[in-house]
Order: sequence, then structure tokens, then C-alpha cells
Amino acid sequence: MKYYLKKIVSMLLTLLVVSFLVFAAFEIIPGDPALAKLGAEATEVRLAQMREQMGLNRPFLVRYGSWVLDCLKGNFGNSYSYNQSVRSMIADKIPITITMTIMATILTIGISIPAGVSTAKHAGSRYDKGSYVVNQFVMAIPSFFLGILMTFVFGLILHWFTPGGYISYKKDFRGFLGYMILPSVAIAIPKCAMSIKLLRSAILTEADKDYVRTAYSRGNSTTQVLYGHVLKNALIPLVTFWGMAVADMVAGSIVVEQVFNIPGLGRILLTSISNRDYPVVEAIILLVAVVVIVMNLLVDFLYRKIDHRIDREE
Amino acid sequence: MKMRKVLVGVLTTMTVALTACAGDKAAETSEGSITIGIAQDLEDGLDPHHATGAGTKEILFNIYEGLVKYDADGNLNPAIAESYEISEDGLTYTFDLRDGVKFHDGSVLTADDVTYSIERLAGEGGDDPLIPAFTNIASITAPDADTVEIVLADPDTEFLAYLTAAIIPASNEDPAANPIGTGPYKYVSRVPQESITLEAFDDYWGENAHIKNIELKVVANPDTIVMELQGGTIDLICRITDDQAAQLAGSDFDILEGTMNLVQAMYLNNEFEPFKDVRVRQALCYAIDPQEIMNFVSGGKGTEIGSSMFPAFGKYYEESLNDVYNQDQDKARELLAEAGYSDLAFTITVPSNYQQHISTAEVIVEELKAIGVTATIQLVEWESWVSDVYVGRQYEATVIGVDASQLTARSLLERFTSTASKNFINYSNSSYDVAFANAINTTDDAAQTGYYKECLQILAEDAANVYIQDLPTFVAIRNNIGGYKFYPLYVQDLASLYFKEQ
Repeated sequence: MKYYLKKIVSMLLTLLVVSFLVFAAFEIIPGDPALAKLGAEATEVRLAQMREQMGLNRPFLVRYGSWVLDCLKGNFGNSYSYNQSVRSMIADKIPITITMTIMATILTIGISIPAGVSTAKHAGSRYDKGSYVVNQFVMAIPSFFLGILMTFVFGLILHWFTPGGYISYKKDFRGFLGYMILPSVAIAIPKCAMSIKLLRSAILTEADKDYVRTAYSRGNSTTQVLYGHVLKNALIPLVTFWGMAVADMVAGSIVVEQVFNIPGLGRILLTSISNRDYPVVEAIILLVAVVVIVMNLLVDFLYRKIDHRIDREE
Repeated sequence: MKMRKVLVGVLTTMTVALTACAGDKAAETSEGSITIGIAQDLEDGLDPHHATGAGTKEILFNIYEGLVKYDADGNLNPAIAESYEISEDGLTYTFDLRDGVKFHDGSVLTADDVTYSIERLAGEGGDDPLIPAFTNIASITAPDADTVEIVLADPDTEFLAYLTAAIIPASNEDPAANPIGTGPYKYVSRVPQESITLEAFDDYWGENAHIKNIELKVVANPDTIVMELQGGTIDLICRITDDQAAQLAGSDFDILEGTMNLVQAMYLNNEFEPFKDVRVRQALCYAIDPQEIMNFVSGGKGTEIGSSMFPAFGKYYEESLNDVYNQDQDKARELLAEAGYSDLAFTITVPSNYQQHISTAEVIVEELKAIGVTATIQLVEWESWVSDVYVGRQYEATVIGVDASQLTARSLLERFTSTASKNFINYSNSSYDVAFANAINTTDDAAQTGYYKECLQILAEDAANVYIQDLPTFVAIRNNIGGYKFYPLYVQDLASLYFKEQ
């Protein structure tokens, strides 16, 4: 119990540090939110009024403090550019990111388990060596570049989809899911490659253990042994990886969104940075940080559940 | 269902046929829908009085109207006002409001809405005025429900242009979230960074818009414009580049060419030590050949300019000013040597989001090399450009396009008077100040035009900036849609668009 408490406190501290850094970064970079909002022709008096209204005249630490307090109350403030609450703006975009992450996760797990088991099963064969080369290659390609390649091949050459022809989930959910397939694949592929490699080596390590010999001696086939006995143990290191991968996908989707011209969190984040719309930027970065930290925490907890030895060592 | 379609088809054909004779295409009913790509979302909001971005104002033109309104030729026509009278002394403006003008929420516009809107813009209640020219209003009254009378403190021949400002209902408590105007299109909904939906307003006082539903889709990544057009997700987009236009040749799109109506120049900080010397500024002008820049930046299209005025302003634009400095590298070197700056070096600060200005700066750097001047390009983010260069005036030279906020010479020329708050080039020339003061103080139109031309002459001869061109702009429009009009200022007139007869 004490352990969990410790973890949660350290998580809150991390969030505090992250949000402070973002706040500080905006303090340093040039640009004025009031000027961004009112435009270059605004008079000095109007600018001063706007700064007052935005609360920018207060000292840095006071602003940060009041922002933290508001956040604790669940109030992320209003966007400077849009006369909307930050919360509703982000709520509109979150389904896009979540859909993309879920689809990519399903793809990653769905592909890597059978592929990992089969490469382990045929370890040393030509098939195994061939897939090793492909894996290494794919692992090295970043998602956004895969996205560009896919846009080129499937959009421009094969005409399977219209690049940039994003369909809102509010209008046509199936069309939306259809458009999200390629971005999800672009995010999933490098993670798949990594998972297959990890799973293969985990299975091979497990395969030498005594319980495997026992399972064979009970008359199980190789496939039965692999899926029924080995896989469960071999998945332990993968759970960690997938946990991190999901967090990484949320952050990575921001980049992939740009490639596929999806108006999700990524676009809002980028335009808000250039408009110096701090409340929105802060909230999105905080959100991503929360996802990363919570996923880490979950992995930790899950780890303990799967393998009780870790709990005892503490 | 099919029957109805056919009928509608026949009706439209008839309407088009009938009105074609009249020379204008009036629609009985609006129908169909199109998607228009916009480069950025209307981020500064839908409250017309607070909107500042050109990209925002050009769309709001369709939702809101003022007492008067520009047409595509730059003439001011009565809009919400049916007619107006200006007194002999130029001080009293009397507007007779049009009967039965309705707001999008169905309420009828009254003189109170007009006085409310103008008072809001003039900053009644202690706020700084949103339109500085409105500080000149001595009084605004509504003698009856259909009449508004505005009395000025001093005569201002360009005052009418400011009355294009939107009239909004006095009863609307939150114009930013709930935009209500009187224009041919009404606002329906929006999704930030994604799209804005407009619908033709059936009770519009004038001719109804032809196209019923318009979706404005944010196309944030310019690299996907051509793909989106060809893939059918957008039907019309403005300000595509020369290259994009070339890629679309021979497809289902018509490419229309217009001008951007801005003054592109290498603006010089006249307070930067070397640029204080007129000979250095002249040398730079002699070094640069606008035609070479146009060839490189936009395939030879564009219009050369020689002062702070673009050609669409026929009244003031003087082609002869283009030849004040024709490229002459020997002369340029001579002038630099005379001024003692043979090894001049300076930085050109360019906002990184404007490819055409970056390309222009690149050509300039090469052209300056030929006269022994070392210029370095520094790219900065747009917000930094605004705060450091435009407002902070911390720069040496910059390439940018300056547009006119109103269709008046004043909006282009006032910034170069020595005390103007937006004089970002720190220009200071007493004869310019005198000429400008004469221009705004006279009520005689011919005399005023003369003074403004004198201002332009001074800017050109004094080499205040290195003037380059008015950039060309291209519009891609699906070939079943017609009616696109170029305006001499930032306006996208959606109501004039119509489906062509198939």
C-alpha cells in the first residue's frame, strides 16, 4: 500500500514539474498572446486592456500558482483564441486520438503475437532470418515517414483514399474509422516490429526451462506448448513494452495527424503554440504527460499482479 | 423524388437563362452545397468588431454587413442603409435605413442596432475604440426608427469607408459565440481547427445566395491542397501557388488569376545606421530587379510596383514610379562607395510561414552579392515577427507584404508619417508629413489625390523601402461552379458563386 502511495505522489510531482516547464518555456520564447489575438494593428491601449483581461499582468509565479489551483478544481480555463472552454475543445478532439490509439494497439497485439510465436517456433530457419531482416528494417522507420509513404502509395498511386479527406466522427463514424485505418497502421507497424522481436527472444529464453520439457512430456504439440504454457510467461516483458507503446502512440499520434491532415489534438496543439494560446497548450501537454505517467504506473501495478516475486523483493 | 429533381433542374436552368439576359444572376432559391478550403481557422473569433485577421474578415464579409458595403470594383454601395446624404460641410451623415432588413435570428433591424454597433466600435463605456477613426464622431442619433444621423467633429473624406463595419443586434449578448448578422449567409456551427458551416439566409434583403450550404474546411497543410481538390473533398480554394496551379492544369478545375493587393517590399529600418543614408537605400533599389524576383517567385507573374500603392488602386497608382530605380549595378556600387559602405552587411528578417517572401529574400541576397553587399536571411516564426519586427522594430530589413485595412490611401500611407504608431520602418521625412497632413485635411477630392500622389512620389524617390511587386494569386474552382469575383481588398464573396448550367 505504501508503495502505491509513493508512486502516486511521485506522479503528481512529475506533472507539476512538466507543467511548470511548459509555463516557463512560454515565458522565455518571444511573442505576446494579446498581440496574437488582436493582430499587428492593435493600439497599445487595447493591448494593455487585453493583457489585463487575460491576466497576463500578474507576476509569473502568481499566474502559475492560480493556474495550478484552477486545474486541481478541474477548470482548465478558456482558450484565448476561441471563446470556448479548453475542456470542451479538447473533449471534441480526444475521440480522434483514442480511436487511433486503440486501433493501433489492437493491430500491434493482433499481429505481433502470432508473428512472434511463429518466428520463435521456426527459430533458425530461413523464414526466421528473413523476418528478422524485415523487422530490423521496419523498426528503424519512424511513423511519420511511414505515413508519408502510405499517403503516396495508397493515396496518390492506388487512389484507395483521399489524402487529407478526413471525415468527422460526428458526421459519419464508419467513414471516420475507414480514414483512421492508415494512420493507425503507420503508428502500429514500428511497434509491431519491436513486439515481434521481443516476443521471439522471450519465448526462446522460456523454451529452455524445465516446465516446457514437462509440458512436452505430457504429450502436447509444439503449438499447444507455445500458446498454452510458454506464451503466458513470455508476455511479461511485453506487457511493459505495450504499456510504454500506448503512451508513445498518444504522443506520436500528434505527429502522424499532421501527415494525414487530421484535425485532432496535434493540430490544436500546434496552432495554439503559434497563437500563444497558453491555456490550450498547457492542457494538452498535461494530458499527454498524464497518459504517459498513468501507463507507466499501470504497467508497474500489472507487473506485480502477473509476477508476485517482484512484490516480495520490495 | 426524381420528378422533383428534374423540376428543380428546369427551374434553375430557367432562372439562369432569364437572369443571364438581365446581366446578373439572381437566384430564386438557394440550393446545393460546396466545400471551400481555408488556410487557417477563424482563430480570432466570429465577433466582427473584434476580428482582426484578414482570413477572418474575408469570410465574415458574408455574414455581416455595414451601412455601406464594397462591391468587386471597390465602390461603396448602400447596404443596410438604402441611401445616405452628406451635408455641405462634410460633417453630418444622414442614413435612411432599408425597410425590412432582418437579422439571422429573424428580428428586424432598427436604428437602435445601428447606433449600438457604432457606439460599441467607438469604444463607448471607457474602452479604447476598436476603429480609431470613430473617435471623430461627435454624436450619433436615431431621429426615428429608420434614420441614423452621425455628426463628425472634423470633416473626414474617407469616413464612409469605415461604415462598412458590421451592424449587429443590440440584443445579442455574446456575439463571439452566437454570430448574428444581416448578410447573405448565416452561421450554423463550427468545429475548431476543422470546419465552419454556413447556410444561405432566406430572408436576406437583397438577392439570395445561389448556393445553399457552404462548408469552410481548414486545410492546414498546404501540401495536401492539390490532393484534396482532386480527391473531391474541397471544391474551391484561394491563394494557391503558381506550382499548385500548374499541377491542376487540365483537371476539373478552372484556375483564376488575380492580385493579392498588397505592397511587397524589402522594408528597411530607417533607424539602422547604414540605412539612415539615402544613398545606401538608393543603392539597394538600384541593385534589385523586381522582374527577376517575379520570375523566380511566381513564374513571371505579379505586377511591379515602385511605391506603397498597388495597381488595383487605379486612382493613386502611378506606373511611372516603377522606373525611378531601374537595375544599375554600377550606379549602386558608386553610391555605396560614396556613402562609405562598400562592404555593407545586414540581416533580412523574414517570417517563416510565407514562402513567397522567403523566396523573394533569397533572390535579393543573390542580387546584392553582385554589388558586394552581404545580406543574411533570418527566418523567424510569425508571432516573433509581429512582436519583434513589426511592433518592436528590432530589425534591419524585412521582406513582407503590407495590405490596406480599408480601401483608402490613408490606410496605406499614414504609417509612414514620422509619429505614426505603426511606422515600423521608422521613416521620418518632414516633407512627407506635410504632404500627408495636406491630404487628410482637404475636402477637395482632386487636391487630396494630388497630395497622396506626392506622398507616393516622396516614398519612391527617397527610397524609403525597396519596392518589389504586388503578388499574383490563384484561385482553383471546380469547373461546374462560376461567379467567383476578385475584390480589391480581402473579401471572399460567397453569395456570388453559383452552379453552372450542365
